[in-house]
Amino acid sequence: MLKKLQLKKHAMTAISYMLPLVVASGLLIAIGNLTGGTQITKFTGDYSLPSTLTTLGVWGMGLLAPVISAAIAYSIADRPGIAPGLLSGIISYNIGAGFLGGMLGGFITGWVVAALVKYVKVPKWAEGLKPMMIVPLLSSLIMAVLMFYIVGQPIVWATNWLTTFLNSMQGSARFLFGSILGGMAAFDFGGPVNKVASLFADGMLLQNVQQPEAVKILASMVPPFGVSLSWLFAHFLRRRIYTKREEDNIKIAFPMGIVMITEGVIPIAAVDLIRVVISCTIGAAIGGGLSMAWGIKSPVPSGGLFIVPAMNKPLLFCLALLIGSLITAFLLLILKKRVPDDKYDNPEDDLEDDEDDEEVNLDDIKIN
Amino acid sequence: MKIVGIAACTSGIAHTYIAREKIMKAAQKLGYDIHMETQGTIGTENALTPEDIKEADFVLLAVDIKVGGRERFKGKKVVEVDTNTAIKAPTQLLEKVVDKLGLTE
Repeated sequence: MLKKLQLKKHAMTAISYMLPLVVASGLLIAIGNLTGGTQITKFTGDYSLPSTLTTLGVWGMGLLAPVISAAIAYSIADRPGIAPGLLSGIISYNIGAGFLGGMLGGFITGWVVAALVKYVKVPKWAEGLKPMMIVPLLSSLIMAVLMFYIVGQPIVWATNWLTTFLNSMQGSARFLFGSILGGMAAFDFGGPVNKVASLFADGMLLQNVQQPEAVKILASMVPPFGVSLSWLFAHFLRRRIYTKREEDNIKIAFPMGIVMITEGVIPIAAVDLIRVVISCTIGAAIGGGLSMAWGIKSPVPSGGLFIVPAMNKPLLFCLALLIGSLITAFLLLILKKRVPDDKYDNPEDDLEDDEDDEEVNLDDIKIN
Repeated sequence: MKIVGIAACTSGIAHTYIAREKIMKAAQKLGYDIHMETQGTIGTENALTPEDIKEADFVLLAVDIKVGGRERFKGKKVVEVDTNTAIKAPTQLLEKVVDKLGLTE
């Protein structure tokens, strides 16, 4: 039953559509703030370019809930889902139900629209009206009632509770929370677990809770930096732990890491999954815990090292990042096996070889 | 054997293309003729032509998200898996589908 609902696929579709919006808006805010911009409230006089960037960025973040909601509804109900999905999302944004409201609203909208398309039967002369008027109007009416009167309020409470909870956490609880979030963000190098952590941090940013965002940024950079550092140390200690091909991949992963794209580590992790995942997750968890415990805040959701100056404590952030990356590097040095000289540039022995399939259970594949 | 397919992942910058490459390699090894389209964040690349689709024995979707243009496959056998499965076991996957569809030559 749960599998049939395809909750994960719909949520991933939403994240997929949301990412470019968050990145663009976040960078606009960062560039605007760093160049002295503030949000414009009166549009009568002159305003500076930095202020226009900040303002557009803030508006863009406001589109987050509508875009999530529309994308989920689209994923469920196809094109007819988009308009009512946007409307549900804008309700969520304005009543303060944030991204949680956007997600839940998106699912309900999608199911409502899919049901309307399927079950509403109209006479022949009204067939053109069905997609153009009947489905959009009926679904929006239903969603308005649901969002304003039933679903919205509990989510506002939940969001407020979460916000207060995160703000009121102290000492070790904060460290623990930071390490869980950081560990999740680094665990699968930009995969679904990372996206869940990422979505949570972005959602919290909308509620003006900026600490999780700093943890997310840190944890996304620990794997590439940790791996790069471990290669550097291994080089000096004359302890070879990477093959030629892996070294080439590290040279690609490092610059990607600077702009906080973790995916560059995937080729290095793929050949030695467990050791690399353990090292990166622990490093990111400790770095994330420190970031949270030290109260580091990031008003911007992405941009890597370039947006560190926009944080409230840039130097402490760098320290936490360094500690996390060092831990990852040391763990890799200890855990990874030595590469013998004759295997160094011998690609045949590379486990990454495409010929070998892993064991995967393919029994429940469905063909439609 | 002719196959067409789509790869698409959440970020649309990495797994999409890894999945495409893995499936293409596995198909070549098995001697199948394959066309794979990618729907990444940059948009659709290597788009399938109507002829590709018409001649295909089945459609293989390695997708984590909703993909566009599914209506193109009307009347075709469509297999859907996540990108992870396609990356981990492309050869087994293709063999399994061919076997299940009774297409073994």
